[in-house]
Amino acid sequence: MNATLALIQDTFREAFARRIFWGFFGCCTALLLFLIFILRVDVVQGALATISIFGRSLPSVGVTNLVEQTQSVIAMVLYFAGMTLAVFASAGLVSAMFEPGRIELLLSKPVTRVHLLLGRYAGNVLVVSANILYLVVGCWIVFGIKTGVWGAGFLLSSLCTIFVFCVLLAVIVLVGVLWDSAAVAIMVTFAIMILTPILAQRFTIERLLSSEWSRQMVRILYYVLPKTSDISVIIRRMILNEPIESWMPIWSTALFGAVVLGIDAWRFQKRSF
Amino acid sequence: MSDYAIETEGLTKVFRSRWSQKALVAVDNLSLRVPRGSTYGLLGANGAGKTTFVKMLLSCTYPTSGRAKVFGRDSREAEARRPIGYLPENHRFPTYMTGWGMLDFYGALSGMGTAERRKRIGELLDLVGLEPRAHHLRLGKYSKGMLQRVGLAQALIHSPQLLVLDEPSDGVDPVGRKHIRDVLQALEQKGVTVFLNSHLLAEVELFCREVAIIQRGKLALTGTVEELTSGSGYRVEGLNVPERLAAELSARARTAGSVNGSLNLLFATREEANQAVDLLRANQCEIESLARTRSTLEDVFIKTVEAA
Repeated sequence: MNATLALIQDTFREAFARRIFWGFFGCCTALLLFLIFILRVDVVQGALATISIFGRSLPSVGVTNLVEQTQSVIAMVLYFAGMTLAVFASAGLVSAMFEPGRIELLLSKPVTRVHLLLGRYAGNVLVVSANILYLVVGCWIVFGIKTGVWGAGFLLSSLCTIFVFCVLLAVIVLVGVLWDSAAVAIMVTFAIMILTPILAQRFTIERLLSSEWSRQMVRILYYVLPKTSDISVIIRRMILNEPIESWMPIWSTALFGAVVLGIDAWRFQKRSF
Repeated sequence: MSDYAIETEGLTKVFRSRWSQKALVAVDNLSLRVPRGSTYGLLGANGAGKTTFVKMLLSCTYPTSGRAKVFGRDSREAEARRPIGYLPENHRFPTYMTGWGMLDFYGALSGMGTAERRKRIGELLDLVGLEPRAHHLRLGKYSKGMLQRVGLAQALIHSPQLLVLDEPSDGVDPVGRKHIRDVLQALEQKGVTVFLNSHLLAEVELFCREVAIIQRGKLALTGTVEELTSGSGYRVEGLNVPERLAAELSARARTAGSVNGSLNLLFATREEANQAVDLLRANQCEIESLARTRSTLEDVFIKTVEAA
C-alpha cells in the first residue's frame, strides 16, 4: 500500500512539475470563472426569464434544455480537446519512467514490475481525473446554483471521459514499454483517436468499398479498436437525458483497454533494461 | 540461510540486435560467490560486462542462461531485492524531487513505514554529509557530488544487508571520497556486504578485501586484494658492492639496477633475498634497505586484462 501511494504521489509531483498540467488546470479555472462571473441567468417559476452574457440578453428558452445543451457542449470540448491535452501530458509522464538511470533504480526495489507499472498508471489516471472532475463538478455546481438544474447526466459523462482516457492511456503505456518514446506514443494514440470516428461511419465506408475483404477489414477494425466517437454520442445522450441505443461501444472499448493493459504488464514483465 | 550474499552460476547474457540478430556476449558463463559481510570489488575495462552483471543481480536485465541468487533467493523474486541497496552509475534522479522527498519516495518503495522514514531520512542526510539547507532543495539544483551523496543515502534508506554501488565516488572531491569511504567502512563493521563496481582501482584497493576482474564478460581473476598484490617480491639495496659480486647478484635477481653507487636488487622469493643479504654482509657491504614489495591493484589489473 505504501509503495502504491508513493507511486501515485510521485506521478502527481511530476505532473505538477510539468507546465502542461497547470495549463490544463488554468483553462478549467478560466471556464469556471467565466461561468461564475460572466453568465447571469434569471429564473422565474422554473422558466427562464432572461439570460445575459456580457450584459447582452439572449432569446429565452427552457431552462433545463439550455443547461443540458450548454453542459453537452462543455462535455464535448472536454472530451476532445481535454483528451488531446491529457494524452500530451501523459505520454511524457509514462516515458519518463523508462528513462535509463531511473528505471533501474525503480526495478531494484522490492516491488513487482506489474505493481510499478500499475502504480504509475493509476497515478496518471488520477491526475487527469482530478482535472476533469474539477471542471465538471465545478460547472455542475455553478449551473445548479444559477439555474436550479441538478441533473446527474453531466456528472456521469465525466466518468465516461475518464474511462476513455484510461483506455487511451493503456495504449500510451504500451508504446512506452515497447519503444520508450513519448512522441511515438502521442502519434499512435492520435492515430486511434482520428481513425475511430472514421470507422464509426462504417456503413457508409462499406458502401464505397468494392471488395468483401476490405469491408471485412473495416468491420474488424471497428469492433477491435476503442469507439471514441460512439462514446461521445453516448455522453451527449446521457447529458440530454435521451435513451442510449447500445452499450456495445462501452464494453468493447473496455475489453480493448483490458487486453492492452494486460499486454503492457506482460511486456514490462519480460523486458530487459 | 546462505553464506553468500551473492551467488551466480553460469550467468550469461547475450544481446541480439533486433534486425540482424547479430549476437553480443556481454556476460559469459560467470560464476561468482561473494561471501556475506565482505567488501567485494568488481573490476573490468569499459564494456567488460560489469554493469550488465549488476543489472542481472537486480533483475533489471534477465540472463540468457544461468542464475543469480541474493542471500540464497533467486534474484528474480521481488523479495530477493529487499535486502539490497543500490546506487546506479548513470543515475537520473527525478529533478523535481527534493533530497528529502527522494529518500521518502524510495524508502516507501522499499517497504518502510512513514514514521520510520521520517526518522531515518534526517539521520542519513547528515551521515552522507549533506548540508541541512540542501535537504529541501530540488535535486535539479544539486551538484554532481551532492547527487552522489544523496544517491548513497537513498541506497542506505532501508538499512540494507547488501550494498551494490556502481561508481559511488564518481564526481566527488577527494574529501568527499574519504567521507564516503568512512561511511562504507562503518557499514562493513556492522556486517553489511559491500559490492563495489568502480574504475578507481586505488579506491577499490583501499576499501575492498576481495576483488574479481572480468574481461569480455568472463571471470579473468578473483582473490583477496592481499593475495593479488603480494606477489611482487623482495627488494634489497646494498652500498659499496664490488663489481664481481654485483654481477653475480644481478644474475640471480629478477631485476637489478645501480643508482649513485647503490645496487638495487629485486628477488622473487624470501630465500633468494636472504642469500643475497648473506653474501653482501660476507663481503663487508652495507645494507641500505630491505623491503617486501607489493604490486598495486592497477598492476594486477593491467596484467590480467592484457593477458586475457
